Amino acid sequence: MTKAIQSLLVRQKLMALTICFAGIVSVTEVVNAHHSNAMFDKTQVREVTATVREFQWTNPHIWIQVLIENEDGEQEEWSIEGGGPNTLFRKGWRPNSFKPGEIVEFKMNPMLDGSNAALFRGARFSNGETLGNW
Amino acid sequence: MGNALRVLQAAAVLAVLLILSPVANSQSASLPDWSGVWERFEGNGGIFDPSTVEPQDGRAGNPGVRQFPPLTDAWEAKYQANLALAAKDRLPDPISRCGTPAGFPRLLALPDVYEFIVRPEQSWIITENGPNIIRIYTDGRDHPPPEEVWPTFTGDSVGHWDGQTLNFTTVSMIGDESTVLDRSGLTLSDQATVATRMFKTDEGLLRAELVIEDPLALREPWHVTRHFRRLPAGTRVYDYACAENNRNPITESGQTLTLDTEGNVIDIAVDEND
Repeated sequence: MTKAIQSLLVRQKLMALTICFAGIVSVTEVVNAHHSNAMFDKTQVREVTATVREFQWTNPHIWIQVLIENEDGEQEEWSIEGGGPNTLFRKGWRPNSFKPGEIVEFKMNPMLDGSNAALFRGARFSNGETLGNW
Repeated sequence: MGNALRVLQAAAVLAVLLILSPVANSQSASLPDWSGVWERFEGNGGIFDPSTVEPQDGRAGNPGVRQFPPLTDAWEAKYQANLALAAKDRLPDPISRCGTPAGFPRLLALPDVYEFIVRPEQSWIITENGPNIIRIYTDGRDHPPPEEVWPTFTGDSVGHWDGQTLNFTTVSMIGDESTVLDRSGLTLSDQATVATRMFKTDEGLLRAELVIEDPLALREPWHVTRHFRRLPAGTRVYDYACAENNRNPITESGQTLTLDTEGNVIDIAVDEND
């Protein structure tokens, strides 16, 4: 085994252990974007409780349309962007992972300009199951 | 035609097949097993050359992240200009427009999964992302004469098998006219040639060793190595269909927008003149 590969394998194992202890998982599933995701503020993770309006299981990205209550108590529609369906499927996602009407907690990176869109980080369902980085 | 003649013809065809098939089978049997579904092994930062990237955990396109190939002064200047655009998120990735292939050699550094199909006379590398296909002819042909080639995204690849190693050279790539090697803005010219060796390592990885030469972009040959790892048996590959629901169009200024479900721009901050 070459030193480079050994080093990479060791780094990946260490990363896996770190992830395990930190209680988070790799963010690769949400950042293999077909476009730059520089419009999202990846230093901020916003946690919200939202009602799923629509789940677009499409290429090149999945989108979760949700309703989030704003500070005035009004429901606003947000677009949460995720990775591509193919790789997400191989990570355990399914075309019906988010069902219309379902109330789900989300972690997401908001847009830098404050508009109603965000990058998916993780989700926790009412039964306690999670997807992504929770 | 009489029945007797038909029988004789069928017997002759069968005889030829019986004579030829052991040859074909023996050739196929001598090829390595690269079946199944694979993914890139090195990082997910989208970096083309992980060995020269700084910082080592940097992602392509992030401010301050770059690679250090042996670029000529002219190409270093191009790279720095692209790095500056990438830092402002105004360097559009050609493949983000969902219209053109990633091109070679970037094709060896894409996300999602890969298939490697090898036959004695030709091999194919198929990437789920895109999708992209590179065809590598190993039937003894050479590159076409100059008057029969033009720059294409994936170029022209011919090669040969040396035991379990696939050797091929790729020429006639379109270069910085329409492709980048990654989102840091690294590019080659349309004069680049790539010599690739692919073989399976003792660890079961598929290793691609590239020697890239380019009289315009490089001072000396640039050595890049990438690996792929096989995914569990039964893994499937799916449509990519980039244009299916692309809600991130790119403007003339290079800004990536975000659209709502009706196609309206969500972004509050949009570049002027777009």
